[in-house]
Amino acid sequence: MLEEEEAIRIARRVVDGCGADETEVVIEAGVERFVRFADTGPTQSADREWRRVAVRARLREDEGWREAKATCDGTGETELRAAAERALTLARLAPPNEELLPLGGPVEVAERAADPATVDHGFEAKAPWVEDAIAACAAERLVPAGLATTSGETVTLVNSAGREVHAASSRASLALTASAPDFVNGAGFADTIRRNAGDIDPDAVIRTAVDKATRSRDPEPIEPGEYTVILEPNAVSSILLFAAYQGFGAQDVEESASFLCGRIGEKTFPELLSVADDAHDSLHPGCPFDGEGSPRQRVELIERGVVKDPVTDRLWAGKLGCANTGHATPLPNTEGPKPANLVVAGGRQSIEELIAGVESGLLVTQFHYTNLIDPRDLLLTGMTRNGTFRIENGEIGPAVKNLRFTESLVNAFSNLSGVGARREVAGALFSGEVLTPALRLDGFRFTSTTDF
Amino acid sequence: MAGRRDEMDLARRAVDAALAAGAEYADTRVGRLVAEELVVKNGQIGAAEAPEELGIGVRARVNGCFGFAAAPLAGGDADGLADDLARRACRTAERLSAATVTPTPFAGREGHVAEWATPCEIDPFAVPVAERLELLREAEASLEGRDETVVREAQSSLRREEQWQASSEGARIHQVLVRCGAGISTTAAARGQVQRRSYPSAFGGNYRSAGWEHVLGLDLAAHGERIRDESIALCAADPCPGGKRTLVLGASQLALQIHESVGHPNELDRVFGHEVDLAGSSFATPEKLGSFRYGSEVVNLVADSTIEGGLDTRGFDDECVPSGRWPVVEQGIFKGYHTSREWAERIGEERSRGAARAEGWFNPPIIRMTNLSLMPGKWTLEALLADCEDGAIFADTVKMWSIDQRRNNFQFTCEIAWEIEGGKLGRLLRNPTYQGSTPEFWGSCDAVCDADHWGLYGVPNCGKGNPMQVAEMSHGAAPARFREVAFIAAE
Repeated sequence: MLEEEEAIRIARRVVDGCGADETEVVIEAGVERFVRFADTGPTQSADREWRRVAVRARLREDEGWREAKATCDGTGETELRAAAERALTLARLAPPNEELLPLGGPVEVAERAADPATVDHGFEAKAPWVEDAIAACAAERLVPAGLATTSGETVTLVNSAGREVHAASSRASLALTASAPDFVNGAGFADTIRRNAGDIDPDAVIRTAVDKATRSRDPEPIEPGEYTVILEPNAVSSILLFAAYQGFGAQDVEESASFLCGRIGEKTFPELLSVADDAHDSLHPGCPFDGEGSPRQRVELIERGVVKDPVTDRLWAGKLGCANTGHATPLPNTEGPKPANLVVAGGRQSIEELIAGVESGLLVTQFHYTNLIDPRDLLLTGMTRNGTFRIENGEIGPAVKNLRFTESLVNAFSNLSGVGARREVAGALFSGEVLTPALRLDGFRFTSTTDF
Repeated sequence: MAGRRDEMDLARRAVDAALAAGAEYADTRVGRLVAEELVVKNGQIGAAEAPEELGIGVRARVNGCFGFAAAPLAGGDADGLADDLARRACRTAERLSAATVTPTPFAGREGHVAEWATPCEIDPFAVPVAERLELLREAEASLEGRDETVVREAQSSLRREEQWQASSEGARIHQVLVRCGAGISTTAAARGQVQRRSYPSAFGGNYRSAGWEHVLGLDLAAHGERIRDESIALCAADPCPGGKRTLVLGASQLALQIHESVGHPNELDRVFGHEVDLAGSSFATPEKLGSFRYGSEVVNLVADSTIEGGLDTRGFDDECVPSGRWPVVEQGIFKGYHTSREWAERIGEERSRGAARAEGWFNPPIIRMTNLSLMPGKWTLEALLADCEDGAIFADTVKMWSIDQRRNNFQFTCEIAWEIEGGKLGRLLRNPTYQGSTPEFWGSCDAVCDADHWGLYGVPNCGKGNPMQVAEMSHGAAPARFREVAFIAAE
């Protein structure tokens, strides 16, 4: 990690020495300590650090801006100079783009600090988490597989138009999958993601994963079809993140590759559903600025069921004549602006109350390998994983074998009938994290099953 | 050359420092990556990036437990950093060894001293950027001309990865791996549909361990008009209906089918549950080795980290084990796993297959599938299509892929399909989505096209591990026919 003063000094030096008409420098510096574990004990670990510097060089022509980017590891003088030179060389060859804007000037962004205890969290503190998880699984004749990780990072952006922003963050997580020894007869998953390692409750994670695994033993066969489902947060994130990958961005809409097309301003979903992008949520704050250093704004994306405008960056705000919401991905890129901190508004029901409202349905812990078939309605497929249970007459029943769904997010969320009160930070197989409660969806379509 | 000697010295120094700090075994990789990504999109430069990485990763085994430490090598005291990382790797292993249940085995001794480099006719980095950019601009321009087109893209990717490996067993290996590739894609929006076509395959094109001659050979601009028109025609095409049908898969789609349903379940760490925390386990368990019918008798799959042009073709893996070739499925019978030094002994093998790799200097190695190919059969494509009944489907180019955590239940959607009528390609179909379970699917294969139809397709974006690492590998295939395949009416 880098202190703000040092990071800005390094970045300024590159900006001043680049020789381009405009220059932007982004420095990411961090440290991470992780340990993976399984039945044999720790299986992989790393104590590692990084300093990645990106230099974006821009040349002004009558016809527009030429631009290119180069990156390097480390902040040594030689590497930085070489990166700036590579960026400049590529920029000279790029055709001018009349759509590009001059770089943005000074801005104020919210402060973010890392938790020092999380940044310093060592392996001696993680070893007991691993030992406890292995012992708890062994006591129930289960096999563990998990990851404990802590990290800290600073991000600094300086450009030649006078923009200078800096933020620090920390993250701690513990995840455990407890499986039957044959990996067929049941499994349970739990995790927790926090800003501070001190807020990790390893006992709760271990207890939940082991409990789900023991209740998942000898799952029953089940037929594919439409079911009322209660998706726990880790299942919600696996489908909702696809709206972040492709859907909620202004360029996605412009390229006709978004479920927002033709629905903006329409009440597409029940009033229960509100989704925003919010880097300032106190439960899960994100970086306060985007890939070009603009302050991230809270953006209502679905408000009480009504589909709202997509997120923008400076370029797309100008093109569409609307406000810059501060959602640029690092530039230049072909993807356009994207949300990075999706939050789903909590409801008023506990998970037990959600379950109590289901006469016949399924409780889903997690989805595996969700992927996108068609962007227009966000048609997705994926598998249930690590604890899928029948709900019968308002109570959790026996575990069932895993099912594959083929369902669109638009259709699924149109059938939303309940929202949990408790929100959790949840990730997915690919990338990203969402702050979301459990959701109850009616008529969710499963198209095939498995033998485990 | 002076730089090369310095980096090997540094790798050796870190190994010595780890031994001095109490390591039973240590290896070090100093890695330098030089890359370039160019994208021309809708007439403009979409991305022009030139990343460089240089860093060192040290792995040490203490009390039967591995620790790893890594940091970038720039602008500081390299010797001091190497010593520090070696101590940190040892300290990590020592502290975590308190939680060890079973010490990690480590097969064989691999003290090789060697040089290896990817054969290249034309060094891609020696071709002027302006020339490479012009090739992409021409390729992107070949997609112009129709109002329905909303996205036109041409892209290229170059990578030169230089690696210095040293180990406490005396290994001193210097490798230079060069990879490059390119592709075009286009998206059309019409009649309420959005449809994409790519050439020569999805994931940004086709990649090989080769020089710029590979990109020239793709002849991108010659294929632009065809895929542009196909993407527009798909918007007006009928959706692919559900039900059971005969399926002929094109070679580029088969490449991903091999990857997901044979490659990953064949990685031995998954089989024993060590990837369950993210990627999952495998149905291909050890008692099946040598007897399990994975596919029909025409299904022969070979792993080969020596094959010309493979994205994972190299001299040695990241545990200093030489590359090799071995059968994975022979006449339909399951014959072999991908292993590392950590895992070989679990199935009674004395030596690793050399399939341990890490993403750069920043990660510890894990088992990764190498180049894995379906061997050619005897059919011409023309004869194969002529032999199909009306209503069979020919589909190609991956659009969507998903497979369960035991690598059994899969569902794939292709970019394009045609119904076969009178032994030829007929009605165009959009969103062809087929679903199956791995051994039944490969068991239904009754024909594979011959070597004239066989090609090697690079997968540049394979994710595995937790935290996730990205690796590259290739899969060779020729079109093949599968019977009674379940199609899902996805829309």
